[in-house]
Amino acid sequence: MDTLRFDLAVPGGALTATILAICLAVVVGLGLLELRRDGRRDRARVLAGLRIVTALFVFAVAVQPRWTGERFTTTEGRLAVLVDTSRSMGVAASSTSRAERTEELLRRWHGEAGGDSADAAFYRFGEGAIPVALEELAEALPRDDDQTRIGASLDEVIGGDGGADLGAVVIVSDGAGDIDEGELAALAASGARVHAVAVGAAEDLVDDAIEMVEADEIAFLRQAARVRVVVHTTRGEGTEVPVALHAGEELVRETTVVADARGRGVAEIAFVPSELGRSVYRLSIPLAPGDAVAENNERVFLVRVTRDKLRVLLVAGRPSWDERFLRSFLKRDPSIDLISFFILRTGADLTMAAPDEMALIPFPTDELFSEHLGSFDLVFFQNFEFAPYQMAGYLPRIRDYVMRGGGFAMIGGDLSFASAGYGETPIAEILPVAMPSGDVPQQRTLVMGRFAPVVVPGRSRHPLIELLPDPAASAALWSRVEPLEGANVLTGLRGDGQALLTHPRRRDSHGEAMPVLAVGSAGIGRTLAFGTDTSYRWGISTGGASGDASMYERFWDRAIRWLTRDPTLDPAQVTTDRPNYGAGAPVRVTAVLRDASYEPLAGRTIRVALLAGDGTELAHEELTSDAAGRVEATLDGPLLPGGYRAAARLGDDLSWLAEEGFVVESGGEELAAPAARPETLRTIAARTRGTFVTLQEAPSLDGFDSTRRRSLGTTTLAPLASFWAFLSLVLLFGVEWVLRRAWGRR
Amino acid sequence: MLSDPRQSDKVMGVVNTSDVTRTVVTLAVALGLAAIAPLGARAIGETTLFDVRQVAFDDASDRPRESAARRLAWEVRKRTSIETRLRPTRARLDDPSIFETPFLYWAGDQAFPPISEGEISGLRRFVEFGGFVLVDDASPDGSGFDESIQREVARAFPEQRFGTLPASHTIYRSFYLLDRPVGRVAGPREVRAIEHGGRAALVYSRHDLGGAWARDNLGTWEHAVIPGGDRQRERAIRFGVNLVMYALCLDYKDDQVHAPFIMRRRGSMP
Repeated sequence: MDTLRFDLAVPGGALTATILAICLAVVVGLGLLELRRDGRRDRARVLAGLRIVTALFVFAVAVQPRWTGERFTTTEGRLAVLVDTSRSMGVAASSTSRAERTEELLRRWHGEAGGDSADAAFYRFGEGAIPVALEELAEALPRDDDQTRIGASLDEVIGGDGGADLGAVVIVSDGAGDIDEGELAALAASGARVHAVAVGAAEDLVDDAIEMVEADEIAFLRQAARVRVVVHTTRGEGTEVPVALHAGEELVRETTVVADARGRGVAEIAFVPSELGRSVYRLSIPLAPGDAVAENNERVFLVRVTRDKLRVLLVAGRPSWDERFLRSFLKRDPSIDLISFFILRTGADLTMAAPDEMALIPFPTDELFSEHLGSFDLVFFQNFEFAPYQMAGYLPRIRDYVMRGGGFAMIGGDLSFASAGYGETPIAEILPVAMPSGDVPQQRTLVMGRFAPVVVPGRSRHPLIELLPDPAASAALWSRVEPLEGANVLTGLRGDGQALLTHPRRRDSHGEAMPVLAVGSAGIGRTLAFGTDTSYRWGISTGGASGDASMYERFWDRAIRWLTRDPTLDPAQVTTDRPNYGAGAPVRVTAVLRDASYEPLAGRTIRVALLAGDGTELAHEELTSDAAGRVEATLDGPLLPGGYRAAARLGDDLSWLAEEGFVVESGGEELAAPAARPETLRTIAARTRGTFVTLQEAPSLDGFDSTRRRSLGTTTLAPLASFWAFLSLVLLFGVEWVLRRAWGRR
Repeated sequence: MLSDPRQSDKVMGVVNTSDVTRTVVTLAVALGLAAIAPLGARAIGETTLFDVRQVAFDDASDRPRESAARRLAWEVRKRTSIETRLRPTRARLDDPSIFETPFLYWAGDQAFPPISEGEISGLRRFVEFGGFVLVDDASPDGSGFDESIQREVARAFPEQRFGTLPASHTIYRSFYLLDRPVGRVAGPREVRAIEHGGRAALVYSRHDLGGAWARDNLGTWEHAVIPGGDRQRERAIRFGVNLVMYALCLDYKDDQVHAPFIMRRRGSMP
């Protein structure tokens, strides 16, 4: 056995054993006290001895001692050499950079190998490990990787295809990178030695740096947001470092941090975004004399500025169950700021009370639809007729509000759509449906009777229909809903309108199934037409029938998010692998493109590009999408710091379907803490039984031990975990009992 | 003690010439109002009309004020923009059709035996899924209905206790500005309620609201109100309208935009 380990199998280990030992000692002690009173000394000695032996045996059987041995074999294996090519290797504490000093070592190894380095495989590493020839590295060591993922890169090499016959790994690095405890443990368990060659020392750098920036990705318009900045200086405790926050070229705030004993100072800077959309902010500190890394004196971050709450206007023509359930839902949602107006009394109603005895207020049409209309994200007309309230003059404003990006939903009822004469108003221009116009009798504008709406084929992926992640579960949800009652007559779709639900029996003027729920767009705003006022039945009635009333809220939550252009519901999505990059770092872009019906744009040519702030294309690639409408591209990142966009469009189209913002920093995370960290490398070597040397001490490649230890298995010996041990224990008890009886004891 | 002897005639079962006169006048007024009130409900379907649906049981104990629901429906339609069903329906609590329309009117004037588990379950789910229940003690002087209803509510909502709705609650300003509830009797100064999801989901009145609303086919009030006469009856009707308005609009009148108007008018109330 190469190793032998002892432990106790009893649950609780040593603690249980200790408690048991104390208990047995007490039992034995009491027994011995009793025997002292016995005048027949020989018999007493025999019984006492028997009691002690029995107790010891009981203890041994109870705690179950065991020995575990493990055997290893040691085999000679290949050597893999990982050389750090991250940007921190370009840092120069003296006249030569870390990369230049590493090149000298690599040239030495190349010379020693006589141009033949077949026994050792070389890799450059940063974001990952990439095979490369030693000659190439020795000639000019790259220093452009934007990350130093030590743990992931070692795992790639050791756990990869060639990992099985690997004997040891040599890592040449400044140690300024990431490896976590889990990765360290996995390395140690792999059996491969990792020898570390440290480039640079911890104390040889003079540098002021913005080490960390923590800002919310989303901030709210005209509300204070905060960014937390950690500044590190090598100039000692008490050093004052000014920090400035800029939005574009405008100085937003300036403060000063004072370094603590570890050289760190922290500041929280408040700023108030004043524009919706993406905003790029820049933090900077001055360049101190002798500062080795100028790039990390500036950091850029991106903030998406939104309204803190969606502002929704709900106008209802009369109190109804549909109004009640929608208001209740909207009020419960903490992300919605609801303004509602209901017509509680019409001119024909006899209230039997003086105005002062009533809680009614005038309908503030001018205030709502002239002064504040633009402040709403979404307007609902719920079974609301405009004519009695002199609203005709405001309808063009509502149309224009939608064209400029507002959301509008018309919910049906006998005071809605054609019943209220909307067919000849500007509202008809923005709705996704057409309706009877002119002087149409009421009975021709409404369809009476219950009906189960039909999901339009090909629309099952639309977010207003696909209410659950699992399409089958979503379809089952629709099949369980209670029928609606009554519908507004709609004569078809208009513009880019899409019917999502249709009437099972009624046809529109084109002979198609009559739309009940349709969505569309007008200008850059979105609209929804729902030709019934009984959707509340998806709540209480469906709940009563099936026990699950969540359908109602699921539907309206989706509808509101879709109408207000929630980006997570856009049919086309673009994502980048990171929110920020170093200058020139590759940007991995993933685009998933679907059409307006949310069907994947499969097998299409997709152009993926990086765009500057003014829309100029900086890099692009054209690829063919897979069955899910997905493409992935890796593009060369911009060189200049600032805010950029990754975007995707169909190859033969000119408008971008989706985009995502990212920032480029001159230093970024990679140079935020550029000091060499040899202690990280020392730990890796220690945990894997490798050696740790500095660049100057590095031996030739043959000098690294490339033998790898592999376990041949373990053997466990537990001598008292057997039937015979238990039988012996019973026998000991039996002998003691027999003797005690035979000698006249209890 | 009745404060207005003329109003006590019907109650006391006495018929005299003033009855005939009042009937004729009532008919004339009713015909006049019918002429100017909306002739038919404008709605897109039966269930979109507000239905003052009454809770039904096997015996006749569920009909102490037979015409009250119909009368309330008529008053609500006449006074507000709400479209109501003028022939209210009835349903048992264990009938799945209670989920068709989210309002239930449960009136009683006597003690009743425990209702079935199915009915308890129906009541609980009705409230949980968004329904509103108005419980009306038609004999608040101690008929036993109070004990029975408290027992059943405790069974349906064991985690909750009745709370009182303060005078500042929306229910007193959802349409009319009122300072307290009244029905056929003046009763306590408040109503009690079981809250669910931030709303009063079950409101319990011990004012015999239905007694004040009930009116026969000829337009005659079926019960005298005590002690306030016609003014009290009007306030009882207004409270009924407010309850319906609250069921449909919830805390709409708590919205900030209403506050200055309501405060100004509250200041002008006697």
